Order: sequence, then C-alpha cells, then structure tokens
Amino acid sequence: MLAFVTFALIVLFFTVLVLIGKTNELSEDIAGKGMNYDAKSKWNGYLLLGFVIAFFISIVYQVKLLAPIMIPKSASYHGEKTDNLFYVTLFFMTIVFILTQFALFYFAYRYNQSKNKKAYFYSHNNKLEVIWTVIPAIVLAVLVVMGMRVWFQIFDVESRDKNPLVVEVTAKQFQWMARYPGADGKFGHRVLDTAHITPTNELGIDWTDPNSHDDFWSDKLVFIKDKPVLVKLGALDVIHSFYLPHFRVKMDCVPGIPTQFYFTPKYTTEEMREYLKSLPWWNTINPETGEPRWKTFKYELACTEICGRSHYGMQKEVVVVKDQAEYDEWMKKQTPIYVAPKSESASVDTAAAPATAVSDSTGKEAPKSGKPVAALIKK
Amino acid sequence: MSAHTTTTADVHGHVDTDHIHGHEHHHEPTWLETYVFSTDHKTIAKQFLITGMFWGIVGGLLSVLFRLQLGWPNDTFPFLESFLGKWAEGGKISNEFYLAMVTMHGTILVFFVLTGGLSGTFANLLIPYQIGARDMASGFINMLSYWFFFAASVVLFISFFLQTGPASGGWTAYPPLNGLRDISINKGSGLGFDMWALAMTFFIVSSLLGGLNYVATILNLRTKGMSMMKLPLTIWAFMFTAILGILSFPALLAGVALLEFDRLLGTSFYLNMIVVNGHLLDYRGGSPILYQHLFWFLGHPEVYIIILPAMGIVSEVLSVHSRKPIFGYRAMVVSIMAIVVISFLVWAHHMFVTGLNPNLAAVFVLFTLLIAVPSAIKVFNWIGTIWKGSVRLSVPMMFAIGFVSMFISGGLTGLMLGNSPIDIQLHDTYFVVAHFHIVMGVAAFFGMFAGVYHWFPRFYGRFMNDTLGYIHFYVTLIGGYAIFFPMHFMTGLPRRYYTFANFETFNNFNFLTQFISIAAIVVFIAQLIFVVNFFYSIFNGRKVDVERTEDGHTYGNPWEGTTLEWTAPIERIHGNWAGEIPAVHRWPYDYSVNDKPYISQNTPLAPGEVEHT
Repeated sequence: MLAFVTFALIVLFFTVLVLIGKTNELSEDIAGKGMNYDAKSKWNGYLLLGFVIAFFISIVYQVKLLAPIMIPKSASYHGEKTDNLFYVTLFFMTIVFILTQFALFYFAYRYNQSKNKKAYFYSHNNKLEVIWTVIPAIVLAVLVVMGMRVWFQIFDVESRDKNPLVVEVTAKQFQWMARYPGADGKFGHRVLDTAHITPTNELGIDWTDPNSHDDFWSDKLVFIKDKPVLVKLGALDVIHSFYLPHFRVKMDCVPGIPTQFYFTPKYTTEEMREYLKSLPWWNTINPETGEPRWKTFKYELACTEICGRSHYGMQKEVVVVKDQAEYDEWMKKQTPIYVAPKSESASVDTAAAPATAVSDSTGKEAPKSGKPVAALIKK
Repeated sequence: MSAHTTTTADVHGHVDTDHIHGHEHHHEPTWLETYVFSTDHKTIAKQFLITGMFWGIVGGLLSVLFRLQLGWPNDTFPFLESFLGKWAEGGKISNEFYLAMVTMHGTILVFFVLTGGLSGTFANLLIPYQIGARDMASGFINMLSYWFFFAASVVLFISFFLQTGPASGGWTAYPPLNGLRDISINKGSGLGFDMWALAMTFFIVSSLLGGLNYVATILNLRTKGMSMMKLPLTIWAFMFTAILGILSFPALLAGVALLEFDRLLGTSFYLNMIVVNGHLLDYRGGSPILYQHLFWFLGHPEVYIIILPAMGIVSEVLSVHSRKPIFGYRAMVVSIMAIVVISFLVWAHHMFVTGLNPNLAAVFVLFTLLIAVPSAIKVFNWIGTIWKGSVRLSVPMMFAIGFVSMFISGGLTGLMLGNSPIDIQLHDTYFVVAHFHIVMGVAAFFGMFAGVYHWFPRFYGRFMNDTLGYIHFYVTLIGGYAIFFPMHFMTGLPRRYYTFANFETFNNFNFLTQFISIAAIVVFIAQLIFVVNFFYSIFNGRKVDVERTEDGHTYGNPWEGTTLEWTAPIERIHGNWAGEIPAVHRWPYDYSVNDKPYISQNTPLAPGEVEHT
C-alpha cells in the first residue's frame, strides 16, 4: 500500500510538472512569442547574476562553518611546507576563480538579448590571447618550481639523518602490523619463502637471527618529537596506503614492492591538544564522549587505498612522545615477539583497536552481515 | 589539402546521387533495419543517447543509494531490503555492496554514460551533418560500434545479479585486490570482475570501431569547400577525442587482458609475493604498479575523452546563442591539439604516492600543470565569446554557461592535485572526489545537456519544454555545487569509506555528509525531470517552425545556426540531404556580420567579401 501511494505520488509530481511546462508553452504560443527569448533572457539574466553573488556568499559561509572542523595544522615539518604550498596555490586560484566566475555570469546578465540587441562581431585578438596564455604559463611555472623544491626536500635521501627511528609497518586485510626493532635498533631478518612464512609468522621472520629477539609488535605507532622517522612499508595481500593525515604523510603499501616514507614529527600529542585548546570549535563538547573535543584528540593512521570490505576500519592510534627517555620507558614495557612467537597473530588482533577486530570478523569469517558494523563498534 | 578534399567530396557526391536515385525503386527498409540494426548515423546517435540515459539513471541511482549510507550511517532503510535483498539485510546496505556500488557508479558514469552516451551520441549525430556527408564512412562499422556497446551494457548489467555481486574493487580495478580470483578477499573479485572485464573489452571494441569511423569520416567525407579550418569546433573536438581513444584504449585492453591472465591462467604480470592468511602464494616477479601505469595511460586521456566533446558542444552552443563568433577559433583548435598531446604525458600524476621514483614525478608535475594553459585559454575564449554578445538565455545556453562555471571550479583544484607535494595529503581523499566530479562529471553532464537541448530539434523536429528545462538547469547547477563544493573542506577524509565512525579524525562531518546526501537526492530527481521532458517532448514538444520547399521537404533553423546540419530537411531522411550536398564557402561562425543575424556556411561570399581566416 505504502509503495503504491509513493509510486502514485511520484507519478503525480511529474505529471503536474509536465502540465505546468506545457501550459507555459501554450500561453507563450497564444501570445505569439513562442521563440522570442527576450523575456526569458531578461529574468534568467537576473537569476544568473543572483546565482553568482549567492555562490560567492555561500563560499564565505562555508569557509566560516567548515574551516574550523578541518584536519588541524601540520604536525610534521615537511607538512608545513606542503600546506604552505597549498595556500600559495589557493591564493592564485581564488583570484582566477573570482574573476572568471564573475565575468562569466555578469556578461551573461549584462549582454543578454533583452539588454543588448546587437552582438558585436569580434572574432579574435591576438595580443589579448597571447597575454592570457603567457600570464597563466608564468604563474604555473612558479608553482611547478615551488612544488619541486618542496618535493625534492621531502625525498632527498642524501640530506637525511643517518640514524632515524625506523618502524616497519606491514598492512594486510584489515589491519596494520607495526614492528619495532627493540633496544638494539635492528630488525630481525625476514626470509620470504614458504618455509618461513606461516600463519603464525606472516612476515617470515628468521628466529635464528638474534636481532629478531627483541623486535616487538606495537598496538600503536609511537614516534618521538623532532626525531626523524623512517617508516618502512609493505603489504601482504592487496595494496593498502599508509596515511597519517595530521602529518601529511601518505605512501602506498604494495605487495612485493617495499616502499618507505621519511618525516619528522613536530608536535607531541600533548602539544597538539594544548594548541587545539586555543581554538573555539575544539572546545565544544563531543556528544559521544561528553568531553571537549581537544581532550580526546589523537593522531591516527588510516588506509587510503581501497582494499576490500573493511577498508574503512583500518585504524591505528599514533602517539608522539616528547623525548627519547619517554620512548625508552614505553619500549621497556613491550613484549618481544620472540618471547611469545606462537601467539603472535593473536597478539596483533587483540592489540589492534576493537573497531578493526570487529569489522574484520564481521566481514571475513562469519557472513552474519546485516548487523551494521557501525552499531557493533558503538558497543 | 583542398584538392584532396574536393576529390573525395566529388566522388562521394556521385555515389550519393546514385543512391538517392536508386532509393525510389529499392526495397523499403524493414522496421528492424530502420530502428534496431540501423546503419543510419542519426538512429545510431539516438541509440547511444537512450542507452546512455538508461545508464545515467542506473549510475545516478547507485550514488543515491550509497549516499544514504554515507549520510545516515547509523540508520536503516527497510525499503532497501525489499529491492536489494541480501545486500541490504535489515535495511542496511552491506559494506561489500557499498563498495560494489561505488565501483559500478564509477564504471558506468565514466565509460557508459560520459564516453558512450556523450561522445557516441553527438559524434554520430553531428559529424555527418556538420561536415556535409550522407553518413559515416562505414555505416556498418558504425552499427557494430553501437551493438558492441550494447553487448557491453548487457554483460555489465547482468553482473549485478550474480550471487557474489558485481565488481567491487574500484572502477580503476587495481590488482591484487582485483587480480586474485578469491571471493574471500573481495566478493566482487569473483565472477563479477570477469564480467566487468568482458564488458570493458566489448566497450573498448565499440569505442575503437566508433573512433576509427569518426576520424575516417572527418578526414575523407567533408563536402566541397569544407577545409579543415572551416570545421565547427564540435568536429575538431570529436576528431581529437577519437584519436585520443584510438591511441589510449588499447593500453587498457592490454592491461585488462593481462589481469585476466593472472586471474584465470595463473600468470604473475601484476602479482608478487602475495601472502593470504599466512600462506605465501606462488606468484613471483610481477608488479601491481605496472597495471596502474597501463590503466592510467588510458585513464587520464579518458577524462579528456569525456570532456573534449563537451567542450566542442559548448563552444558551438555559446557562439550560436551569443550571436557572436567563437572568440579565437584558431586558438581553440590549437588548444584542443595541445590538450590531446599533453594528456598522454600526465598519467602518473595519479600515482605520486605509489612509491614512484620522485624524479619521475617531477616530469609529470610539469606536464600536468602545463595542461592547465590550453585549458585556461579555452575558458578565457568562452568568456570572450559571451562578451558583447546578444545572449539568448535559452536552456542549452544556460547549460553551456553552467559548463564553463563547473569547468573553472573543478579545473582550478587540479593545480593543487597536480603538484605532487600537495597531492601527498590530498590523494584519494574527498578533495579529489570534489575535483573530478565537478570538472569531468558535472561539467561533462552540462555539456551533454547543452547538446541535447540544442540539437533536440535536429533529432525530432520539436523542442524540449523550456520551463522544465530551466527547472532542470537551476536545480542541477545549485545542487551540483551543493553536493561537491563542500567536499573541498573534507580535505583529508579518505574516499570509499563506508563510514567514518572508526576515526576520531574524520568523524566531525556528519551534518555535512547528510546535507550532501539530501542535495544528491534532489539533483537525481531533477535528472528524472529531464528524462520525462525528453520523452514527453518527442511526441508533444513544441514544433520547430518550418518552411516547406518545392522538393517536398521541410526546412527549419530554430536557433539560427550557420552550420550545415540546419540546411538539411528537418525530417529524418536517409542520406541527410534531399538533393545535392551543400558546398561550403565560409567559416562556421559568421554571426552578426554584414548586417545579417547569421550567414550559413553554404552561402557563397558576397561580391567583394573577404573570407574570414
């Protein structure tokens, strides 16, 4: 019944629209101005002009409403440069955007046929065309040069710290496995063959290598303020992408091809919270936690390459500690993989954020779908 | 060049006189030959258009469905279960089907609507009409082109009804997600993906057959006097679109073929050291990145395959309705060529964060930003065309203006995405979604609508209803911006997420995702108004004012255009022109010149008149 009523209403809606349209058309024909667009050009001219003004106002409003909610300032050094480049580009863009959009709609209004009966035959102007080819070309050249300077700073291997904090992050459906080298700073060797890669040792770690004995899994990524980090990335099954939104870091994790990203965190988690405390929106109460938003702020790791059903669940917390001492203290509390190699994969599962574990099991083993994942997570 | 043109036109004219002559005592084409297996470019154009409209509705409906999930991730919609069944148990779209819908939405809109529906429709309709030809170089190949497209459509549509669902690994179909035929990794990577690959194969064949025909027709069948520099910009756009397609689609075909080898025959083109559930699979030595190169070698030109025909249509519509020549005709032609050439050198800007060599990225940044120059020239020239015109704000003109607005808004953000250091943060986030939907999604649709409203009289001898057209325009313009503009502020939120609930960082935009979803639903309904208007107007639209001449045919030029399609009888006749094909004497943009509102291309130069160059 409901379906029938809905269907009837839809049909009625379109019928009424068509009737209105046809009535207008007939009344124009009766008035003898079927193909005369003077009147239509006139009011559409006003509407277009109104549109562009409303459009600009709405953008100002959107900036006011949405900019405070956006991901906050960069927490890494290179990210400040890329953000800066973003704003430089935005500056040029805004000028072009305002000029061209306004000209477009204003001309449509100003020269509509009710206002301007006779068009001006004007087919080209070489000088003008050269100007509007050369100016964009110069601006773009500037942007390319600026961009490449930043780009090669980010990927300049020569100038890098010779002794960074190295973390190995391996992605699989649908979790991140973060391996730290332990106190010796050296990872245990991995052997990629069927003898070493097993369900309990997915990375193929060679336990005969003593360096492997103090390697540990971590349930979060821990970095040190001002200490360069080299994240060594890989994936087991499909392509994932290692994304730290606050640090402006993104690099794909590709099965069979190692990748990496080198960067330096600038603010500890605590410093970031202090900073956010100074911003009005971050002082509003988060209805889910009942606390001001800045208090529960955390850095996060996300996946940005479509990797399957629970792509949206690949979350891991990231913490930036203030110095080596704090890091060492944390490291001491971790249990090496070697000590409990059998429970390795289990430890990863329990260590991972509950959200990840839940979404994984819903999708993978039991097809008890229908239960909304989000609802499960809420519990 | 001109000698060559004359010869082919003469030969062709000769053939056609025979044909017209023979027509009288030849067998009447059957219903099947006229409407189904037709070799007439006008009918094939309609077939492409109506198939494209079907896919447009399906693709749009998919986006409405996944917008329901994105806007209200914690709610259920029981009615969904009644027609999606197990994919929406309890009225909640499953995360697997969400990805399938996102994937199919992309595939359908990019290939089946904005390539097949847009290029297929207007290249077919306008090329013979505007260059002055009886039909395409090969009507039969043209027919095949449509029927391969149809076959692709059937295969893709059937894949929706598979047990494991349609392909769900993204429209880009990256391996290994789509390279392993294992439904425990991804349900859509089972038979659904094989059907996707088959559909794409048919589609590519269709596109190549069509493209070769378009190029052959434009180069060889121009009427007497129609030198290349007298071609309307639509034709230039269709020709370069076809060339782009011919050169780039084979790369995708190769890419997809190798992918199927990996899936079905156990080769390792794209696979290396894959570990699934702790077991190392036997694939060795392939590279998933190789696929991305092959895919984007088509994938990036593809966005120009979509946008160039829209640009051509818009150039024409802006000029006709401004009653002014297009500003800077030569610059427009040169900028199309520049875009085509450069578009082959930008593909890896989709791959800045795949681990691509940073030095290589520099090259692609350079060319990516460089392609903005011809694009900028086009925008300035369009605005220059309206300037001091006598602008008739008819429905097609409104859509043409909307196209330029969208193209500016979406094109500018390309400068950020194309610059690799900025792209690190923006890649695969909603900023990208906003960018490409505005610049090649909404904009291309605006171009398509401008074309449909403008050439509807050429199709059916009637107009589409203006009132409904204006409503359609305003809702789509405002709604299009309402959907995609705010997404720029969701910078950093990953695409293709089923919900953002798992992340503190991304979970602040719930009110905005709801707003966007509502806007999407409204815009979708507005497109249905267009569909209703289209079919209603075929039978009941206002008739074009026509003049009946001695040859028994009726002629009309509703928008007072100069191009040849308006010199042909308004009713559909095989061979387009009743008598001889008109010869061309002047360029296509003689508007408001010599105290005349317009001068058709087939009007000889007046004594003492200098040809426009």
